[in-house]
Amino acid sequence: MDRMKPVIEFEHVSVGYRKDASILSDVSFSINKGETVGLIGPNGSGKTTLLRALAGLLRPAGGRILVGGTDVMTIPAAQRSRMLATVPQELELPVAFTVEELAMIGRTAFLGRFAPPSNEDLNHVERALLYTDMIELRHRNVLELSGGEKQRAVMAMTLAQSPSIILLDEVTSHLDMKHRLEIMEIVQRLNREQNVTVLLSSHDLNIAAEFCARLLLLDHGALAADGTPADVLTPLLLKKVYSCDVRVERNPSTDAITIFPARRLSSESGSPGTPIHIVGGGGSARGLLRHVYFRGYSVTIGVLNEGDSDTQAAAALGIRAAVEKPFSPISGASLDRGLELSAAAETVVVSDVHFGPGNVNNLEIAERALERGHRVIIATCSLEERDHTPSREAEDRINLMIQRGALPASSSSDIFHMLDQPAATRQQ
Amino acid sequence: MKLKPPAILALLLLGFLLLAGCLLFGASGFGIPTNPDLRNLRLARVLAGFVVGAALSCAGVTMQAILRNPLAEPYVLGVSSGAGLGAAIAVLSGLASTGILILPASAFVFATLTLVLVFVIAERNGHASVYSLILSGVIIGSICSSILMFLVSTSSAEGLRTIIWWMLGSLQVSSYELLTVCAVVIAVGIAGSLMLARELDALTLGRETAHYVGVRTSVTVAVALGLVTLLAATSVSLAGLIGFVGLIVPHAVRSLVGASHRRLLPCAAIVGGVFLAVCDAAARTVLDGRELPIGVITAVLGGPFFLWILRARRRSGWIE
Repeated sequence: MDRMKPVIEFEHVSVGYRKDASILSDVSFSINKGETVGLIGPNGSGKTTLLRALAGLLRPAGGRILVGGTDVMTIPAAQRSRMLATVPQELELPVAFTVEELAMIGRTAFLGRFAPPSNEDLNHVERALLYTDMIELRHRNVLELSGGEKQRAVMAMTLAQSPSIILLDEVTSHLDMKHRLEIMEIVQRLNREQNVTVLLSSHDLNIAAEFCARLLLLDHGALAADGTPADVLTPLLLKKVYSCDVRVERNPSTDAITIFPARRLSSESGSPGTPIHIVGGGGSARGLLRHVYFRGYSVTIGVLNEGDSDTQAAAALGIRAAVEKPFSPISGASLDRGLELSAAAETVVVSDVHFGPGNVNNLEIAERALERGHRVIIATCSLEERDHTPSREAEDRINLMIQRGALPASSSSDIFHMLDQPAATRQQ
Repeated sequence: MKLKPPAILALLLLGFLLLAGCLLFGASGFGIPTNPDLRNLRLARVLAGFVVGAALSCAGVTMQAILRNPLAEPYVLGVSSGAGLGAAIAVLSGLASTGILILPASAFVFATLTLVLVFVIAERNGHASVYSLILSGVIIGSICSSILMFLVSTSSAEGLRTIIWWMLGSLQVSSYELLTVCAVVIAVGIAGSLMLARELDALTLGRETAHYVGVRTSVTVAVALGLVTLLAATSVSLAGLIGFVGLIVPHAVRSLVGASHRRLLPCAAIVGGVFLAVCDAAARTVLDGRELPIGVITAVLGGPFFLWILRARRRSGWIE
């Protein structure tokens, strides 16, 4: 077979476990003989489904999957197992096979019903054990092996199939660094020495970038990108697919690509320690509290009633709150406490709380901040429905504040976005 | 951990000697009876014990492999209750007296119907999970047992004895023809299971992995369950409901010879067969002049012995 001939072809493949829900939709790509391709994408993006469909375990609802030019669903099971082997995510072994017996299971499709294994079978098992460095452990009970050894034993079973294509589904995710590398090096050797075509799914983008010359990025069952690691692993694309900020670094000397997840970036967009005061209540500020808490702001909240779910959330996160007695209107004393707490705040956020005669006075905290020249962000979504004061007092006061420079926010993601912009950019 | 071939050979020899020794024990006293009829009867009984024990053990091994569950036994999918119900209906309707094969045929048909019903109930989207199979098996089994109880409680005295004989299990052979037919069917069933040994190895790793190594899983599981039904139903029609053997012998033998079915299946058949024959020899001689139900002996004699093997060699059996 010449090198450039495609051995795996997906032609507009759609797969759904049920008729209504599609897990893969209209996926098309082809893989040539001898390629090493990484399959990446967030949880639930369809990586495992793609591999299962490719192995003939799931019938596509639409399109065709060709292996070696033949529709995989029409290839007899025994023949298919000689072309294509799958290393499952995690193999549960209820009974105790020895390593050698497990490897021999890889030869199931080759073995006679009654005849003992042929020399060819034994040779393939021997070579699989050699490749996976399991020769010395061959008579050991698989259940007694460590995680890395167990995964190598499973690899040996797969290699004994002597496949020309090997699929690996998250095989390294339970392993530590050393054993991860061990497995990946076995895969690399197979590819280099026997020209085995490799398709592996991985959550570890760094491993995928390191070992695969080509990456397929899946997003909600569709192919979002197909190209070299440098083309696919861009901050923009990864942010879109993983909904998470990343930093991509290229090592100038080795050209290796390294991806760092979001947390390290928060110092660039948000400002940890920046004091923020929140006016909330009735659970309206819980999401906001969580966001600002994990971003590392110095947060205060109030005035809240005791027993309110926002009060509980603040207590759980250790956030200081000005608290009024349960079900009571905000008294002068608690408002003073709220004003005191918010005095240092560079930003005051008013959540999409419902306003009534009991809590409308809370708006004074925002008004004072605005007067001081501090930033005020106010949730404006469905404000009319949230205002239960007799004379529409809350709505009037909020509109007035917006006229005077308070920032209206139409959704919580809007608020998060504004918060992560430094406060100083506000025009006075 | 595992026994070497010479040790297995020695065990086989021991089994054969034990089997021959069983011929010496009987209600008529120690030693081989001089009366040819009595001798034949005792020989038939030892043979019946052997084939039933072998069938139940093999069915247990197969069941544990395809259900990947250490609690699986030939009776777990309601097969035995169905077979028992079929046999009871054949006896009570008087059909059983019209031909020797009516009784086992009825047991087999009911066992198969039960299995099909269990599958229909457990299946969802063309796939039956192990847990739903076991659950619906237990439920259908209970329903069959309840109907059997109902029949027992309302039937006349003459049918009653036969049915109670069924539920307690007995290796007293009612006719040589029946024994011959059952032995042949059981031999076919065991040979069939042996043919599936490779696939059973792979299925022990789960259907998905079995698929990857080239097993046609749906067909194989269906055929294997058919064989289990054949073995269980045939032994039920020959000897009634004998529990314990199909559950414990596979475990004990697996811990001795390993999990590979090419060795496990024949060894389990032989050990199970010898075990049941020995238990039966004990059942007919322990109490002077009276016979004990075989189930009592299998549990009382076999329980501690197999527990000891399991404890001593736990690591090569199922993990817990």
